Amino acid sequence: MTTTWNKKLGSAAFCAAIAGALFASAPSVAQSQEIVLGAIVPSSGPFAEWGRANTATLQMVEKQVNAAGGINGAKLRIVILDDAAKPAQATNNLRKLAGDDKVLAVAGPLTSSAAEVTFPVANEMKVVSTSQASSKPGVAKNNRPWAFRNTIDEGVLGRTTVPYFKKAFNVKTVAIIYDAKDATAATVGSKIMPALMKENDIKVLNENDPLSFNTGDLDVSAQITKLKSLNPDGVVVSADYSQGVTVIREMKRQGLIKPVVGSTQLISSAILKAAPEIAIVAPATFYATMKGEKAEKFVKELQPILRSTSGLPKDIEPSMYDANIYEIVSMYIDAIKKAGVTGKPESLEADRVKIRDYMAKLVGFPGLGGPIGFNDDGDAIKAFYIVQGQNGAWESKVRGCSTAPGHPGC
Amino acid sequence: MLLQQLVNGLTLGAVYTLIALSFSLVMGILGVLNLAIAELFMLGAYFGFTAILAQLPLPVALVAAMLGSALVAIVIQKIAYEPLRDAPIVTPMLSTLGFSIILQNVATNVWGSDPLQLTDEVLPGRLTLGSVSISTMQLLVMGATVALVAILAFVVQKTPAGRALRAVAENRDVARLLGVSAARVTLLAFVLSGVMAGAAGVLIGMHYAVITPYMGVDIGLKAIAVMVIGGTTRIWGALVAGPLIGIAEVMTVAYGGSQVRDFVVYGLMILILLLRPQGILGGSRSEQGQRV
Repeated sequence: MTTTWNKKLGSAAFCAAIAGALFASAPSVAQSQEIVLGAIVPSSGPFAEWGRANTATLQMVEKQVNAAGGINGAKLRIVILDDAAKPAQATNNLRKLAGDDKVLAVAGPLTSSAAEVTFPVANEMKVVSTSQASSKPGVAKNNRPWAFRNTIDEGVLGRTTVPYFKKAFNVKTVAIIYDAKDATAATVGSKIMPALMKENDIKVLNENDPLSFNTGDLDVSAQITKLKSLNPDGVVVSADYSQGVTVIREMKRQGLIKPVVGSTQLISSAILKAAPEIAIVAPATFYATMKGEKAEKFVKELQPILRSTSGLPKDIEPSMYDANIYEIVSMYIDAIKKAGVTGKPESLEADRVKIRDYMAKLVGFPGLGGPIGFNDDGDAIKAFYIVQGQNGAWESKVRGCSTAPGHPGC
Repeated sequence: MLLQQLVNGLTLGAVYTLIALSFSLVMGILGVLNLAIAELFMLGAYFGFTAILAQLPLPVALVAAMLGSALVAIVIQKIAYEPLRDAPIVTPMLSTLGFSIILQNVATNVWGSDPLQLTDEVLPGRLTLGSVSISTMQLLVMGATVALVAILAFVVQKTPAGRALRAVAENRDVARLLGVSAARVTLLAFVLSGVMAGAAGVLIGMHYAVITPYMGVDIGLKAIAVMVIGGTTRIWGALVAGPLIGIAEVMTVAYGGSQVRDFVVYGLMILILLLRPQGILGGSRSEQGQRV
């Protein structure tokens, strides 16, 4: 009996071994692995709202992709790390994502300050890093070939924004105020806007006496009193929207009801509540009320998720940065599908190169607001809109493109 | 513009005065810099906003903010200070710093990081005198600051609780030998600092009509400068130093350059520390150990 039992056991073990070998080789490689992407978002700190909304957006993408069968049969996993908008933390996050989590590519970081120090690390570790919000000139350009930004240089956007502002409000003079501690705001306020105003024959009344404040300042009454005494036709507010709210509310409090122009940093629903009677002009590549099948579907899917996410306002709308990070991950997924990315641990370096090359050559990727590509500087070639906010809503006034007319990217 | 800037400076100075007094109360009695006071100010603003958004009247919002911040101050005293009372002086200071970061995170999670705004002015109305315009809320901020400083001075100088505070500030051990409960006095100092910070938060929140979880950070640092310049040994010192710093700050922005604003404020603080470490109204150098 023992012998028979041993024989049966032996036969069963053999069959199991054969079956195991067969099953191990039968399915595709992809089915037995997962595709890992990384993301760096500021889920805490002053831009926590953006970071948390970005996180919800990425989780939505992950869920949708996996529900549809994954990427070439492999499950998508996005490792999301919080940098609290701190450059040093963003750098550590990138090292962890590239070194420990072995991600194929990284979406983020969000701010220019973080991107400036994180992009060199992306080059060092040879992993693609694409920022969803950085727009300070030259940040990706200085860190080729692994750094990309799904944003447009503020200098390029300003060339369409300022002429519209001048024409719409008959502006002949402006006064400029900017956040001196914010990398993008300081560059836009002290360099880009003064030069653009000059190009458009608009006099900057405080050209030799720049007015600034610091991130976190609650009181800007002295600056606004000074601005008011200059009696400009319009005001340039170069700050992120949360600081912009402080400036615009103080303008309202002191009775300085003049049109405001700024950069993409101003785009938010919060700033529209600050002083509905003050017109705000700024460029955007996406806004929640944008028309178009892709954009409307994105808003319809994401908005209820954002509104049910704890720590986010109940009336929140998807922002331009949610759209940008959604597009970044969609591009990475497309790269994995089309560029022959295997996802195998031993091919990690080669896979990362394939994604980099796909991004560098990308033309006409179907984004939410139109086709997307990248220029030689690593910045997005895409359509943008000059929007005017007044009485609580953004309205598109001009459509532009970040490259020469006729380019397939637009 | 000069007169309007003076009004701006006085309003800003009123803010600094109230927060500086909160710092001064704990620093004066215990010799500890409670770095979480800046967040008590921020929380006061949020408590006040929550009350106003719930359609409650301003006096109720003010009381709610003062009570709410006082309660949080008690928690700070029990968790971040009391267990570390006998540790080196830097230990409770670091503990309160940790608490301040936790409170910022709590506020971010409860109210979000987006600026919280009021749609309408709580106290509409504006007084115009020539080229100078003063809002009703600005008048309230300045008036309430003077009133709160006077009330606090009265409490400290004329009441048994105030005498106990001064006795502990003078010499904790001798005060205990004379029957003063040092533990109760410590708690009272924390509660009063919470009340002052809460009042400052709600008044300033209503004035600017926009608040964020990080609003206390910079203002808190300036208030510490005001406390140093005014001197921690005299309550009225903050009432002098607050407007002084407020006016210096706005005048620097108006006639100097906004880039050198902080240089002037903190430069003045360093100058005072070098030339008169006891502060403008801090009495003689021999009084340096005495507080309040």
